[in-house]
Amino acid sequence: MLELSNVSVSYGKNLCVRKVSHRFANGRFTALVGPNGCGKSTLLRALMGLLPMQQGEARLDDQPVHAMGRRSLARRVAYLPQDNHCPDYITLGELIELSAFSRSRLMRGPSASDQALFRDALQTVGLLDMAHRPLNTLSGGQRQRAWIAMVLAQDADLILMDEPVNHLDVAYQYSVLNLVARLTRQRGKTVICVLHDLNLTASFADEVVLMRDGRIEAAGPVRETVTADNVTRTFGMEAEIFDRNGRLVCLPHATEFSA
Amino acid sequence: MRRYKNGLPQRRSGLLLGAGGLLLALGLNLCVGTRWIAPVEMIGALIEFDPDELDHFLLWYQRIPRALIAVYTGAMMACAGVVLQSLMRNPLTSPATLGVNSGATLFVVLGAALWPQLLTPGFLVAQGMTALAGGVFGAVLALTVARLAGLAQDPRGFSLILAGALVAMLLSGVTQAILLSDPQRRSDLLGWASGSINHVYADRLAVFWWIGVICCGTLLALSRHLNLILLGSDKAGSTGVNVPLVSRVAMLASVFAAASAVAVCGPVGFIGLVVPHIARPLLGAAVGPLLLGSALMGAGLCLIADLAARMAFQPYTLHTGVVMDLLGGAFFVAIIRRHYLSGRAGQLA
Repeated sequence: MLELSNVSVSYGKNLCVRKVSHRFANGRFTALVGPNGCGKSTLLRALMGLLPMQQGEARLDDQPVHAMGRRSLARRVAYLPQDNHCPDYITLGELIELSAFSRSRLMRGPSASDQALFRDALQTVGLLDMAHRPLNTLSGGQRQRAWIAMVLAQDADLILMDEPVNHLDVAYQYSVLNLVARLTRQRGKTVICVLHDLNLTASFADEVVLMRDGRIEAAGPVRETVTADNVTRTFGMEAEIFDRNGRLVCLPHATEFSA
Repeated sequence: MRRYKNGLPQRRSGLLLGAGGLLLALGLNLCVGTRWIAPVEMIGALIEFDPDELDHFLLWYQRIPRALIAVYTGAMMACAGVVLQSLMRNPLTSPATLGVNSGATLFVVLGAALWPQLLTPGFLVAQGMTALAGGVFGAVLALTVARLAGLAQDPRGFSLILAGALVAMLLSGVTQAILLSDPQRRSDLLGWASGSINHVYADRLAVFWWIGVICCGTLLALSRHLNLILLGSDKAGSTGVNVPLVSRVAMLASVFAAASAVAVCGPVGFIGLVVPHIARPLLGAAVGPLLLGSALMGAGLCLIADLAARMAFQPYTLHTGVVMDLLGGAFFVAIIRRHYLSGRAGQLA
């Protein structure tokens, strides 16, 4: 279980995350939602040790994260950044193999169990046939699934994702998030995922954390947390929330831009 | 169960092509010259050296040292180029665009101005040391300027390219000023400053070769780390790579490798820029095989450039560096066109 207590992170001179405390339940898909610049991505990067925490600490199964080495952290937590560089001429198979870096040894190829893991990750995202293809010849949706396969092949129990469905069309958004939700249900992974779309959140996430100005505005199971009131408080706009055949639908009302 | 495949399918043939090309270039370089040495005789001389034969003497005391220097220079520059381009994720990075060459030139020119004996044949190694120090100085200066300009915020390393160009211009300016103040020595230095492969310099190769071996070994050992850095520093960091440390070590190793080549034979440009671009479509972006293949291709290309320099305007010998600059200039335009002006320029390495 990942537990944050009083975490503050600054990015440059700005304090982006202010005294955040939260417990992320195991085996659940938690969506991190909030306006642009509210500190969601910063929080994930700090959890990965890519940014220093000003204050507070994160504990993973009661072990402080900052005390873990990079490699041992990588064995337990995988991270998908928002923007991934896609180098020319690198193949999907090579990309997947790189995920096992934290278990790799100098001058030695991947172990048999790692190879099984790579195949399985490619199979899960439906790209096993494409392993020999250079990454830049894949479509946008396939590429996003490739990055997810890389995260899967890292074989960590906790997966952090920063807007994994950015730039994807609506069909791909649903198929990618469906895949992510399946990881929690079928494989017991814990997923913390930055999302922008409240309807996607309501369709796939189990829990939601609403953030605003570096603070948690509301957190809990989706059904109780995604309310008209909370949406207004988080985004500063009116919204209607309905229940349609057991699914939450969020209908925001257009507002004039007010600073 | 189906196996997942790894790497570009053409990688094996790419490596074979590189090795074959290198052997061919080496053979040509040794056989062809003002005096043609038949391949059979060349091989005979390699197996058993007869000091009374002119051809054997020519081969062992002139062509082989020259060829070894070309191989070393080409391989080092190409490896340094591969790693610098991967680290910066910018296709225009190379030892020369990072200020290594101009730094080395400045130090040698400055050294000769302060201490004229540096240019006499007895001080070849001291000259090399000066160039090595200068090359490292140039790169460090470029990196410092880039850091001051905010390198960290720029994912494609543009500020580093600009800083490199700026530092190169600045250092060349100072070099020119020193050269102008001493017209007598200008012609002596001009030879060195345009990068010439000369059999006399083999002494320096004997002194400096181990630097290249250590640097390339380090880079090979870091190839997996470098592959991950290629995907972005956040991705690499989250996968377990110590990005700041690995970047620094790899940067240092590639700068030292390139500077040691410049120390041996003067600033030969463009190999470091061009070769990775020839090698990548054949070998893929993974740094390990790319280093190996680029070293082969860089060495081969340098041997051919050396041959062209010797043969183009007989009986005069052109400088290898000049041939490389002519070749590289054309290539530079092609790289810019492909990576910055084409439609998919946004999503490249």
